[in-house]
Amino acid sequence: MTLDLKLDTPFEDHRADQLPQGILGHEQDRPDGWLKVAGRATYAAETDPDGLLHGVLVRAPATGTVMLSNLAEVEAMPGVRKVMSHPKMIRNAAQGTANKAPVQGVDHADYVGQPIALVVAETFETATHAAHALIVSVDGVVKPATPDEVTPEQPDDKQTILGDPDITFADADVLIDETYTTPAMVSAAMEPHAATADWDGDTLTLRGALQMLKFNKNELADSVGLPSEKVRLLAPYVGGGFGSKLGISADCVAAALAAMELGQPVRVVQHRRQVFEVNTRRSETRQHIRLAASKDGKLVGLGHEALVSQLPEEDFSEPVIQGSHFAYAAANRKLGLEIARIHRPAAGSVRAPGESVGVTAFEIAMDELAVATGVDPVELRLKNIPDKDPESGKPFSSHRLESALKQGAEAFGWGSRPDKPRQHRDGEWWTGTGMSAAFRVNMVIEAEARIVLSESGATVQSDMTDIGTGSYAIFQQIAAELLGQPMDQVTVELGDTRFPPGSGSGGSFGAASTGTAVWLAAMEIRQQIADRLGCAEGDLTLQDGIATCGNTRTSLGDLLSDEITGHGHVEPGDAFEKVRQATFGAHFAEVAVSDVTGEVRVRRMLGSFACGRILNPRTARSQCHGGMTWGIGMALTEELTHDRRDGHIVNRDLAGYHVPVNADVPDLEVLFVDERDDWAGPMQAKGIGELGICGAGAAIINAIHHATGARIRDLPATPDKVIAAMTKAGY
Amino acid sequence: MTISFHLNGDRVDLSPEVAPTTTLLQYLRDQRGLTGTKEGCNEGDCGACTVMVTDPDSPQGVKALNACILFLPQLHGKSVRTVEGMAGPDGQMHPVQQAMVDQHGSQCGFCTPGFIASMVTAHMTGRKDHDTVLAGNLCRCTGYAPIVRAAQAAEGAAIPDWLTDTPPEVAASTLAPESSDELAAIYAAQPDATLIGGATDVGLWVTKQLRQLDRVIFTNRCADLKRIESGADTLRIGAAVTMAELLPTLKAHHPSYAAMVTRYGSEQVRQAATIGGNIANGSPIGDNPPALIALGATLHLRHGDTRREMPIEDFFLDYGKQDRAPGEFVEAVTIPKHAQRLACYKLSKRFDQDISAVLGCFNLSVEGGIVTGARIAFGGMAGIPKRAAHVEAALIGQPFDEAALARAAPEWSKDFAPMSDMRASADYRLAAARNMLRRYWLEAQGAATNVREVRA
Repeated sequence: MTLDLKLDTPFEDHRADQLPQGILGHEQDRPDGWLKVAGRATYAAETDPDGLLHGVLVRAPATGTVMLSNLAEVEAMPGVRKVMSHPKMIRNAAQGTANKAPVQGVDHADYVGQPIALVVAETFETATHAAHALIVSVDGVVKPATPDEVTPEQPDDKQTILGDPDITFADADVLIDETYTTPAMVSAAMEPHAATADWDGDTLTLRGALQMLKFNKNELADSVGLPSEKVRLLAPYVGGGFGSKLGISADCVAAALAAMELGQPVRVVQHRRQVFEVNTRRSETRQHIRLAASKDGKLVGLGHEALVSQLPEEDFSEPVIQGSHFAYAAANRKLGLEIARIHRPAAGSVRAPGESVGVTAFEIAMDELAVATGVDPVELRLKNIPDKDPESGKPFSSHRLESALKQGAEAFGWGSRPDKPRQHRDGEWWTGTGMSAAFRVNMVIEAEARIVLSESGATVQSDMTDIGTGSYAIFQQIAAELLGQPMDQVTVELGDTRFPPGSGSGGSFGAASTGTAVWLAAMEIRQQIADRLGCAEGDLTLQDGIATCGNTRTSLGDLLSDEITGHGHVEPGDAFEKVRQATFGAHFAEVAVSDVTGEVRVRRMLGSFACGRILNPRTARSQCHGGMTWGIGMALTEELTHDRRDGHIVNRDLAGYHVPVNADVPDLEVLFVDERDDWAGPMQAKGIGELGICGAGAAIINAIHHATGARIRDLPATPDKVIAAMTKAGY
Repeated sequence: MTISFHLNGDRVDLSPEVAPTTTLLQYLRDQRGLTGTKEGCNEGDCGACTVMVTDPDSPQGVKALNACILFLPQLHGKSVRTVEGMAGPDGQMHPVQQAMVDQHGSQCGFCTPGFIASMVTAHMTGRKDHDTVLAGNLCRCTGYAPIVRAAQAAEGAAIPDWLTDTPPEVAASTLAPESSDELAAIYAAQPDATLIGGATDVGLWVTKQLRQLDRVIFTNRCADLKRIESGADTLRIGAAVTMAELLPTLKAHHPSYAAMVTRYGSEQVRQAATIGGNIANGSPIGDNPPALIALGATLHLRHGDTRREMPIEDFFLDYGKQDRAPGEFVEAVTIPKHAQRLACYKLSKRFDQDISAVLGCFNLSVEGGIVTGARIAFGGMAGIPKRAAHVEAALIGQPFDEAALARAAPEWSKDFAPMSDMRASADYRLAAARNMLRRYWLEAQGAATNVREVRA
């Protein structure tokens, strides 16, 4: 049996507030924490089957037709088993939810760094040595590698014009008209991508570093030419993803093909330098933003036109303007996205695709408007909150931006801030504060989960992954709460495609989507227990292993001579047609900026977020901390540098690509606005993994302006740019 | 040579066939199946491979090191504990492990074993400067605060008795000589060998550049090269003294140099890296040479039984070229115990774990308001660590005031023509160098300039 749910209507019954076990919505440990602190959680590269062979990917040094002139000699080297340049190998990782093979074939290199062969040997060292002995020559012309070299595509479905924006911009009392840029960035998850493939002549079993197994299974099957039911994926632990592991990656396909050809298990681990190249990056963006407002800061028109880049034949484009469609009211609107087809490594989803960079640039522009109009930045946002979706006219499912702004401002002590910049100096250090609003769309993805309840407790199963987000903990809590079990009586098993297909991890939808499937599975079990007791499910109380129904009180152990199974299935429905659903928040930051060197030190940050019901404040807060830390990186340190001539990534290691270190991150405070979004499903919970990054960098950039009077429009605000901007501002 | 060490309490004797450039990380993961220790970058940037090493020759006793750039011979006579060896024999969690679970310090878990090793090591030595201890561990999930809170929560807990290691007695080996005399003899006979101090740079030759080093000699067991000798007015620092071992001495004599060293690489890097290696390597962006030049240090070189010495700035001839003959090695460096006003400023994009864009060191003598001596040296401004001779000349004999800064301003471009690269543009480097002198002057006026003090 399955309890199916299509999200068509609001859930006004807040069941989760009435359940007695007291677990859901409360701070709980992660059950996987114990394994991780002991080094016993096993990741994709950490199984060691008999006969394991090692594969090393070879990279293209240039673009064009690839020739491997000494292939046969390398293949004949002692210990080398195969030099594979297979037409089914993939050019780059699949895009999230692609569900089919990405571009295949490696006899041609479309970007520098593309995998063009796999060398398989008996040891990793032999494979590495042989991979370097392979002579790779590339014959081709230099392809365009910077957006300025090409005429960008302008897809019709990515352009919006409402009212008469051009006239509004021309006639506005106040007009902000600026261009902002953000550099290419990468996920830089701590675990490099890796795959261990095993082929028994019938079924391919692959342990991979992957976020969305039900899609990845089809992507791998399609890539290697197997029926999907002959592929099993395992990813019980994943060392971070942030979008880089959404789609099947080159290591997985190459390992699978090699295992199928050689009849032995093959492991392929991407070196950190390959991780930067062969998966997907966040595109750099150029964003032209125009804000037309009355003298008191009421927006009458807004423009947000962005240019991003992508390899030919890839569907994804960084949806920079996604948040601008609903963030602020203004009758006249011009939003557009252009895509430059160039030969850099493929672009794809990196934590909060769209809003992470789009909201950040837009919120810098909003700060410029606040300065231009003299309206307080918080007040400016409050003035422009729309009462319905400003483009479709649909109502918001729930809109708590006002609360997020006010509660955040109060907690941060925003009220005491001087209006003008350059008001506080301490030796060579200027200090100031800045803020931004945060916006992120909310999504639900079809998901299934199963729970088996027996005398000894409950087991939750789904192919959902936990990439560090806390899936294990959340599902354990949902099942324990609904089934009246102590936490330690609930086991959660994830990351195996033999379990029911979950949503996968991505787009902040994991906890709400697969969590709802777990909720439904538990509900189905509650229904069966109620049936056995002869009462309605709504009248059933399950707590500490005791079922109570009216005057009947029974130990669950007595009721459960057999196993009871529940299967939950949720899919998005009309709710997404009827209402606009999103999450909202506000960021506040205080910085010190050196007059001498232009160094910026973030002194404190506070984020205030409305994401529906918070299922576990501890895991939720940590998601926000992580997102805000990414905001620090985006504002100050993170920048993927492409060689202008051929597009190759110059700083493809963790020494050159600067993710923030501990000393770059100050005390971060996180507040949650109390919210139940009835349209989000029976738990009233929305996504939380990405909101923390959206706009966080803008709060820092705006604080730099408040501290120094210097406006940074090209991220990141490295010391050289800060000094130059101070000079330009006349200081 | 047979390399012997303890691994999680058990003795390991490696066969002489094991290549001396095999890293500990390779050995743990590939040969021992100890996959708790992770490979995140394989070049000492991320700390996911951190292990705890008990070193009887080190004053701290235990240290946290990056296993990815630690060659097996460096472990000769030491004890290693990986994350698998931190829990008790009956599976009892170490207090740090417990605190990491309680404080939600582990999310995806991939950086966690490295953090555990760093934190357990700090716990063993009673350290509470967690921000310094954890500078070399990257985390992309948590934002660090829960990890720092876990380290604080475990501070008061007793050190579990199962963790104390007594390293094995081992035989001497030609691969790792026990004294500078032995080293001098071996190296003079094999001048094509590569000397390895802490392997924080040479490690990358192997793991990143895949270079094959046919002959290597490790300096870490040369007892006399690990001494800091205190004279009447000078300190003679042996070449094999690690930056972590040097730090307490610097704190006592040259606090600004010491403060800069706390941002030098990371804890793991400082525990391995030697001052001699940093000098001999000759990098234009090494962090020690500018400080040593500003201090007027003397470099001691040795070849066989022949010794010579020189002002350290004379050692750096050109990019990648030093005044060192084949078979000759850096034996020690001597610095004055006192400097009236030495200041060292490190400028990098990221606060810790970052190569300097510009590193400036200033040492001016001021008597009666007049500059009587000046030693100003920079890293990142030329192909070698270099003195600002024109700027120094413009300052000497002048009052130390704002007008002197202005007079010196045009001299900077005579001293330096820096390059533009990813770390900074040439213009910015020059501007920052010039501004650092202003900072130095401001500091003399008592203004707040310290980059650490602005943290809330």
